[in-house]
Parts: sequence; C-alpha cells; structure tokens
Amino acid sequence: MFDAREDALAGARQHANWSPYDNNGGTVLAVAGESYVICAGDTRMSSGYNILTRKFEKIDKMSGKTLMASAGFAADAVTLKKTLKARCKQYEFQNKREIGCVAFAQMLSNTLYYRRFFPYYAFNIVAGLDAEGKGAVFTYDAVGSYERTNYSCQGSGQALIMPVLDNQLKTVSPLVLPAASSATPLSEQEAIDLIKDCFATAAERDIYTGDSVELWIMNAEGVRKEEMALRAD
Amino acid sequence: MNQNGSAIIAMVGKDCVAIASDLRLGINQNQTTAVDYSKLHKIHDKLWLGLTGLIADQLTLAQKLRFKHDMYELRENRVMSPKVFASVVSTTLYEKRFQPYYTEPVVAGLDKDGKPYITSMDLIGADASADDFVVAGDNVESLFGVCESFYRKDLEPDELFNVIGNCLNAGVNRDCLSGWGGIVTLITKDGPITRTLKNRMD
Amino acid sequence: MSVNLDLSFLHDTERGAASTKYRDEALQGVSNSVHASNFTAPAVEDFDAFQREVINYVKPAHGTTTLGFIFEHGIVIAVDSRASQGPYISSQTVKKVIEINPFLLGTMAGGAADCQFWQRNLGIQCRLHELENGKRITVRAASKLLANTLYSYKGRGLSMGTMIAGWDLNGPGLYYVDSEGTRLKGQRFSVGSGSLFAYGVLDQGYRWDLSVKEACELGRRAIYHATFRDAFSGGTVSVYHVGKNGWTKVTGDDVGELHFHYYPSEKIDEDSLGGLGKKEAEERAAAEATAMET
Repeated sequence: MFDAREDALAGARQHANWSPYDNNGGTVLAVAGESYVICAGDTRMSSGYNILTRKFEKIDKMSGKTLMASAGFAADAVTLKKTLKARCKQYEFQNKREIGCVAFAQMLSNTLYYRRFFPYYAFNIVAGLDAEGKGAVFTYDAVGSYERTNYSCQGSGQALIMPVLDNQLKTVSPLVLPAASSATPLSEQEAIDLIKDCFATAAERDIYTGDSVELWIMNAEGVRKEEMALRAD
Repeated sequence: MNQNGSAIIAMVGKDCVAIASDLRLGINQNQTTAVDYSKLHKIHDKLWLGLTGLIADQLTLAQKLRFKHDMYELRENRVMSPKVFASVVSTTLYEKRFQPYYTEPVVAGLDKDGKPYITSMDLIGADASADDFVVAGDNVESLFGVCESFYRKDLEPDELFNVIGNCLNAGVNRDCLSGWGGIVTLITKDGPITRTLKNRMD
Repeated sequence: MSVNLDLSFLHDTERGAASTKYRDEALQGVSNSVHASNFTAPAVEDFDAFQREVINYVKPAHGTTTLGFIFEHGIVIAVDSRASQGPYISSQTVKKVIEINPFLLGTMAGGAADCQFWQRNLGIQCRLHELENGKRITVRAASKLLANTLYSYKGRGLSMGTMIAGWDLNGPGLYYVDSEGTRLKGQRFSVGSGSLFAYGVLDQGYRWDLSVKEACELGRRAIYHATFRDAFSGGTVSVYHVGKNGWTKVTGDDVGELHFHYYPSEKIDEDSLGGLGKKEAEERAAAEATAMET
C-alpha cells in the first residue's frame, strides 16, 4: 500500500538523532464578526533560544476572500501555503471562479490529513468571508481536524490568549438548542483593540512571541493591514 | 504539577491581597473525586498558604508548616510575617532537595504594617515574589494570560475580588484538571473575607 | 455436456457501470487504492518509532463521552463537545455527531482528524452505494464499510472509537466500530474516557419501553454526569433521536447551565474549607453563587 515509502527507503540512510521537525514558535489569532474578519500574527521566528528573524510574515492571502495564518514549523507552513496557492489557482481555472473560504477550509483539511503519517507540523487558522459576507474562522490541528468558530488562537501563545478571548467574546455555543446567534458582539475597532492587547499580553510572558504584530482586516471593502510593535526582548 | 489538578492565584491590591483556589480534587488524572476541596490553608488572620500539586504532599507540608508556625507563635508570642513564613516554607522544601515534596506553594499575606506580600515557589523552594500577581497549578499559562490582561495596580478590595475571580474562572475554563468552582480569600487590614465562586462544573 | 452458467450477476449493475464510467476526478478520492497513493509516507526505516515521535507533535484529542442505545421508539445518541490536548482544553464546541445522511449518524471518540476524515469518507461511500443501487444503504453495510476501511489501516496508528446508528428496512441499527478493527452490533454502547461514568447512569435508567422524551432525558443525564466526573469531557450535551423518518437533534445544553438545572443550590461542605470561622461561613453563604460577569 505504501509504495512511496519503499521507493524513498531505497536510497535513504539517516542520522540516528535527526528530526525532520523544528518548532519556530509564533502566535496567530483570528476573530470573526458579523461583517468582518481579522487575522493577526506576530512576526518573530525563533529556533530554541535564538531569534532567526523579526520580520517573518505568518499570514498570507490564499484567494479573494480567504486568509491563512500558520504557526509551528515554518518550513512546513511555507510549503503548505505554496502547495495550497497552486491548488487555488487550479480551482480557479477549472471552475472559472475563485475558491470560497468554506471550500478552501475543507481543502486544507484534506491536504493535512493526506499527511496523517508524516504530518505538516503547522498549526493553522483560516479566516475569510463566507458566501453571505459573514466573517468565518476555521481552526485546525496538525492532521486536519477542523472546526468553524468565531475566534481562535494557535501557536506558542495559545494557552495565554485563549482564556482572555473566552472571557471577552464568550458567545453561545453553536451546538445549543434552541439556536442563538453565536457571532462576536464586538465592532471592528473593538476587536482590533482586543487583539492588540492580547498580543501585548502574550509578548510579555511568551519568549516565542514578540517584535511586532500584523493584523489583516477583511470586510466588504477589501483587505487592509495594520501593524503594531511588540516587545523585542 | 498535574497529579490531582489545581489552580491558585494570589494578587496584590491597594493595602490588601487576595488568594484564590479552584475546588477540584482529581484521582487518576481524569476522575473528579471532590468538588469542594479548597487548596488554601490559613496560617493566621493575615497570612494564607496555597498549595498545588500532589494532595498527599500538600497535606503533609501544610501540617508541618502550621506546626512550625504555631511553635514560633508560642515561643515568640507573635505571629510570623509573610516574608518570614515564606523563608520557612522555602527552607522546609529545600531540606528535601533530592526527594522533594511534589507541591508548589503560594504565600499571600499582609505584614504588621499592612504591606502586602505575595510569593510563589517551585517544589524545592526557589521563591519568586512579585508586586502584582503570582500563579501556580497545572495550567499556569492560561492563568498567566488572564492575569496579565486583567490585572491593574492599586485595586480596591471589591475590585480586586472581581478581578481575581474573573481570572481564576477564565483560566480554569481552559484546563481539564482544575475548576469546578473556586474560593477566594481577601485579606485586608480588618481581617479576612472568604467567598466562593460559581463556575462551570465540567 | 457443458453447463451454461449465468454469470451476469458478477458484472456491474447498469447504474454501477455508468457511475464508474462517468466518475469524475473529484470522486476518485473515494476508492481506497487511490487513497493509499495520496497518503505521504515518511522515508524512515522504523515506521512505528516515527509514529510514536510524531504523536508528540500532533497530540490528537482524546477526552470524550459518547453514548447510544436502542429502545422501543428508535435510537438515542448523546455526546459531549470537548476536545483536549493534554490538560489544555482546545475546544468546547466540537461537533462529535457526524451527520452522514438523513438516516445515518456517526459519533466520534479518539483522534478528531481520524474521525472527521473517515466518517466523511464513509458518507461519500454511502452516497455512491445509493447511486449504484438505487436504494439507501443499510446500517449493517455502512458500518461494515467503515470497519473494512479501518481494518485496512490497522497498525498504522489511527485512533477511533465510533458508533454508527441509523434506521433502515430492518428497523433501528446500532454498531460500534473502532480503529482496531472491532465491529459490534449492540443495544447499548458508550465510548470514550467518560464512558464508564455514562454507563453507570445509562444502565441504571434504561428500559426497553422508555418514551422518546424519557430516553432523550436519560441520554442527556448520562452524558451530563460523565462531564461532571470526567476531567476530559464537557462543553455542550447534544442529544439526537433516530426514528423511522430519520434523525432529529432533540436538545443541546451548555453544561455550565445544565449543572445548575439539575442541582439548583450548590452548597459547599463546611468542614473541608479548613479554618473558616462562623462569621466567615455566614458571609460566604450570603455571597454564595456570585456569578462572574463583567
């Protein structure tokens, strides 16, 4: 069943203690509102106790209405984004329209799962506007399990930031019956301020988060970017 | 520190301190055995000790420390200041450097001038006192996150209660092994006030 | 003398042949052989050791309580909604019931990605079965499809414990299928880290002749008690009922509120609080249930 493995093994001899993975740290976060979505990430890339660069962008635009942010192993994240961008182009040519964020979310899930036995060590968030123009956030584990939510945070600052977002944005669970709206109650500007506060907090306590935070704000008018400096130590 | 599950926060306010603990006691990691188990121990009216980690070691250490404090009180006819008590805790832990008690303590209190003092330690007694807040338990990251976001300097007692309660509840709601309600003790110059917190029970 | 045997039944049905012929590229993902070539395998000598290392990186979600039982008026399926990575709660809103089609439900326990992917795959297989044969797939066949798929990956480190529940021409059907290759038909199952807690309540309250309302309440209560006792279960309790017209979601309750619905006044035992004076106890009682809202 695993022919590829046999082929690869034919010439493979490896170091006893070499790992195909590294953790480059970093935190990414997304918040969806009724008519906007904000995707944010810090720009530090580190390895162990070293900072490799202070200007590494973790967020990318995958299609017209879809942003993707990844933390974890940068090499895997970059490769993954490159592959997915090519798949998005293919989709566009085959279907004569851009891929929507809901379809993209499923595609990312499948792509990750096909590496179930040799995972991409990347923790991803997809943020976009759905067919009705509502904000959507999709949050993933490394092997492709995903869920649509209203806010999510992944990466080295996850445990620091998530309880703060829970406390500030806690909305009704989408599983509850009778169903209630589970959209984020904040306005776009309030959400931007909250995200900046969250990153300031994470930079204070997490050594893998810092330098600066970039925010991509997407709404009906398009995408705009903001940046804020964080601790650089 | 995730044998039985625990979460403790201590915070400094304006002429007051607060210490909060969750109420869960778990056995075998996942089995919730008690939901009314406070991890706070009163040393005297202005001094509280919170212990996280292995319950058996918590109890042993708490008894040992209370004994030491009470002997001190009988001999000296005065109670220990938080700073002195923290030193006692630290040396008691370091005595067992190579076979430690598996518990991380938090000390919170007011000294005789009413000045707040809080500190947390690792399991062999390296203390790290702070002028804002300290946390301990099996999920310190979540607790640090909320405390760092919600803490402000010079909070009045009611505000401090509100902040520490929010922090504890928000923090433990991202942790499987702690929660099931909480308890907060607010120490002011007029004495201690203890209140329980309502939270999700899962 | 030669016997003329009619072997036409071995060939594809007409619909089957047509669907094979016109199967487009997107549907290729369904066949298992295509899957195997899609999966990237690591170029390592010791596959198992590599999987053990990798599991530390991806830490699949493990805590769960799910249950299902057959009674006089159909099947009740009830689940919690928590996903955890070690002691950290990664989500409180996971949908652990997978709606395969209007007559089939699957539940998930174990690795979240494994369950999501293979139950979606099962959904595709069931739909194709429908198109090829012109009738709905039986629960028996659907669970067998999943069990066969999982059996072909045995030893590769998949982690799933699922129940397949549905209604077909034989009436209600409930199967337990897991990644070890087990497939069991049964009347009552509970799966996951909190399953023992749920079984306690479920077995105690179960009767064949429960009404639909009573059965749903039993499912909800069993999951609630599991979320209370099991550290790794929680979030929302969802209850589904499967009847002859397909499934419906009956209730969805946040455990944060459900607990206080079952136990309106939570009193804390005096003795355990250690060193509390009467005055403080009174004050505490007065301030009991201080809801935390800002």
